[in-house]
Amino acid sequence: MSQPMLSVCGLGLRFGRLTAFEDVEFTVADGELFAVIGPNGAGKTSLFNVLSRVYEPFAGRVRLGERDLLRLRPRELAGAGLARTFQNLALFGDLSVLDNVLIGRHHLMRCGALRDGVFSRRARREERAHRTAALEALAFVGIDAWADTPASTLPYGLRKRTELARALAMEPRVLLLDEPVAGMGEGERSEISELVKRVHGEHGVTILLVEHDMGMVMDVADRVLVLDFGRVIACDTPAVVQRDPRVIRAYLGEGLEAA
Amino acid sequence: MVTELGTTTVETRRQPLPGTRSTHGSGGVRADPSRRGRAPLGWGGAWVLAVLLPFWLSEGQLSTATFIVIGAIGALGLGVLTGFAGQVSLGQAFFLGVGAYTAAVLGADHGWNAVLWIPAAGVVAAMFGALIGPTALRLRGLYLAIVTIGLVYIGQNVFTNATSLTGGPEGRALPTVHFANWLDFSAGNTLNLGGLTIDHNGLYYYLGLLLLSLSALFVWNLSRTRTGRAMQAVRERELAASVLGVNLARTKVTAFVISSFLAGVSGALYGSFISFAQPGDWSLTISIQYLAAIIVGGMGTVMGPILGSIVVFGLPDVIQNLSFVSQNGGGGLSATDFASIVYGVLIIVFLVVQPEGLMGLARRIPRRLGCSEGSMPEQRGDPPRRMTAATTKPEDQQ
Amino acid sequence: MTQFWQLLFEGFSLGCVYALIALAFTVIYRSSGVINFAQGAMLLAGAYVISWLTVNEGVPFFGAVAIAIVALALSGVAFQLLLLRRVATQRPIFAVVMITIGLGTALTSGVDAVFGSSTRVLGDPWGSTALHAAGLVFDWVKLWAIVFVAVVLAAFYVLDRHSRYGLAMRATASDEEAALAVGIPVARVQALTWAIAGSLAVLAGLFLSGYPSSPNPSLGESALTAFPAIILGGLGSPVGAVVGGILIGLIEVLAQGYDPSWLGNNFYEIAPYIVMIGVLLAKPYGLFGVRPAERL
Repeated sequence: MSQPMLSVCGLGLRFGRLTAFEDVEFTVADGELFAVIGPNGAGKTSLFNVLSRVYEPFAGRVRLGERDLLRLRPRELAGAGLARTFQNLALFGDLSVLDNVLIGRHHLMRCGALRDGVFSRRARREERAHRTAALEALAFVGIDAWADTPASTLPYGLRKRTELARALAMEPRVLLLDEPVAGMGEGERSEISELVKRVHGEHGVTILLVEHDMGMVMDVADRVLVLDFGRVIACDTPAVVQRDPRVIRAYLGEGLEAA
Repeated sequence: MVTELGTTTVETRRQPLPGTRSTHGSGGVRADPSRRGRAPLGWGGAWVLAVLLPFWLSEGQLSTATFIVIGAIGALGLGVLTGFAGQVSLGQAFFLGVGAYTAAVLGADHGWNAVLWIPAAGVVAAMFGALIGPTALRLRGLYLAIVTIGLVYIGQNVFTNATSLTGGPEGRALPTVHFANWLDFSAGNTLNLGGLTIDHNGLYYYLGLLLLSLSALFVWNLSRTRTGRAMQAVRERELAASVLGVNLARTKVTAFVISSFLAGVSGALYGSFISFAQPGDWSLTISIQYLAAIIVGGMGTVMGPILGSIVVFGLPDVIQNLSFVSQNGGGGLSATDFASIVYGVLIIVFLVVQPEGLMGLARRIPRRLGCSEGSMPEQRGDPPRRMTAATTKPEDQQ
Repeated sequence: MTQFWQLLFEGFSLGCVYALIALAFTVIYRSSGVINFAQGAMLLAGAYVISWLTVNEGVPFFGAVAIAIVALALSGVAFQLLLLRRVATQRPIFAVVMITIGLGTALTSGVDAVFGSSTRVLGDPWGSTALHAAGLVFDWVKLWAIVFVAVVLAAFYVLDRHSRYGLAMRATASDEEAALAVGIPVARVQALTWAIAGSLAVLAGLFLSGYPSSPNPSLGESALTAFPAIILGGLGSPVGAVVGGILIGLIEVLAQGYDPSWLGNNFYEIAPYIVMIGVLLAKPYGLFGVRPAERL
């Protein structure tokens, strides 16, 4: 039995006296596409924030492969193979799209200030190689034509793609996608859906997906975790979860037809 | 990679992620590292102009130009710290002072050659920068700014008290640059190069220009590589940058170290040029002048601080010659008062009207002249006219 | 021992004035996130305006104070509405703060240019008179400082806690967009904070330039000593401002009075900053400050 890529055990988060979530427990296998759903305020993004070491949980354990995730500092996550996109986007607006993606390559580059400043041969090689890599990531999500555009001037959909490209460029083993299709139109949703499937299928990346779009979730996910008021109420394949009465009551309303 | 599902062994071949193939092998898309091909040409021309400048300037004007290039080195440093890395610092005056006194102690008291005390001034200032840098880790924004104000006051207090090093409140003499007997910058000495005569001012000017050019090159390289990018990311969104793998501590401390190194060199040259330094020189007013220089020039750019320095450090000369300014302490509007008023107004005007500074204006000129190379697409969402090799579809190449 | 009590009194009085300055910073910061680096310059201008009105124009002292308060309050409001508010919507806060640095620089030199640097007389009615009791000297100006500040603080407390505008100021500080959404006139509220700051500047200037000092160019710098006060008290906390101000005043005067020579000359000038840095090392957001939440 191989070790799961991510295993979460008894995880709990509080803000003062408000409990964001409690007793959250699940494992994600290597290469799985694992969705986290739940009504607004259920604690999904907070869960991601705990996994990204932004919030400190009051209880629980998290293992990323062999490592104790809760021992890592935020900046060590990239090296440990964890990348994420953000619900409200966290692009560096003044920087170009390409530079944004290159920040994703930061942890894979080795040159320090001195080598960079004199633009040594090593720095030049690194720059060239990683720029190429970044452009490929941009090409993958379809926006390499905008490489030199300042990120803040792009429309929402292109910015979301930039963030996806940046996360991919980090060469993660585990990818946390926080509502990658939120606020997008029909056509774009299916395009991004396809991209996510490609990343998952062709490149075998373990993906954790927070999403509201049930159609997308049922389409791409291997398993689904359902949160409601900070508690896990179901964790199974999409087909099973869809029919779980507790889930229907809490989140999906009366009887769901998969879109 | 092998996965076991129950009793079956499945071998899955993992494809490398998009964007990874090229770093491990050859081929793939070739990226163009010099996207902005035209810009360096313009600056190169300006540099040539700067080299030739002394031959057209009067004595007094050359002196001002020298102050400008020397000050620009320090401004460049502040540009890295505040412009790139977003760490608001009003403490530049302190590092200038450290550099100057290092030069004094090593150059005059211990007889070191300028080729040693100039970099030493930078190194000692950089060491202080490395000490102060970590405070930026615990303190954000305005808290940090005020602590740097405290640094200037504490610095002045220490400078005033450390009489053996600094000469106390009356100040002390600083060594002039002396590389060799034939390359001596002392007042009254001249250098004869095949018919060209370069005097004290000129020698300092060229030395300053040389060091400024090297510094600008260094900072430019930083801006287009990993270190500079990391600084800018930290400026915009620290937490996100950290989660993406940027080491906040190292980035911020690096910014402080580079900034204070340049300030140290600038302070040493300044003190050496006027052959004198006193604690009152390293005041909050000076820090504000440097801040004005980077605001006027354009924060977050490489050349901005240099452009801003031309304005800010060239100003006193211009003001002296204005008719309504009183000369030498007579009644009426004093030159320092007027200069300060102008600095204040410049800061306000640029921040309100032209926050990108002079660099923002300079960038618009090529566009107005009709050059499209290297310009950014104006409309949101439209792809730029220039296509990279990656997006040229095979069908197009029939 | 009498020296200690004497210093304690003087430090407390000075601290009250710093508390006023610190409160002015805090009020503006709370509603717009801006630290007004021009506060010292406004204080300087206030003192000079009073002096000019009383000495050159023969206006009775309290009338001069009233006029100065109105003048500076209006100037502050104008500066905020015409310049800062326009800019604040598009630029990062740091840029707005730097505009106040620009204003401070220009205003300080402007005052110097207009009035010259020769010493002036404030024209206050209590001058250098003092109350002698228990072997101590209580300069009236310092006593009045304490009284005035107490009154102002009480008035501020009432405004803050028991009036609509006080609540509006706190709401705007917390979330400007939300405040707008519930109909709070944010621009007006922010303008009010600048009017308050301008008035406090005049009062502070009035007492700082009293005996044994006088309206002189270095007043602006003295106001900078209030920075450590707000920092160590914690940005955005009125209680912190008052506590910080009084602490800093006490520290400065005690350091000057006892003047340990092993700490170098004029240690009292930097004692506030040293204490501030010390506090910040332990509490990076000041004694009463709150860590701003960063949302991801």
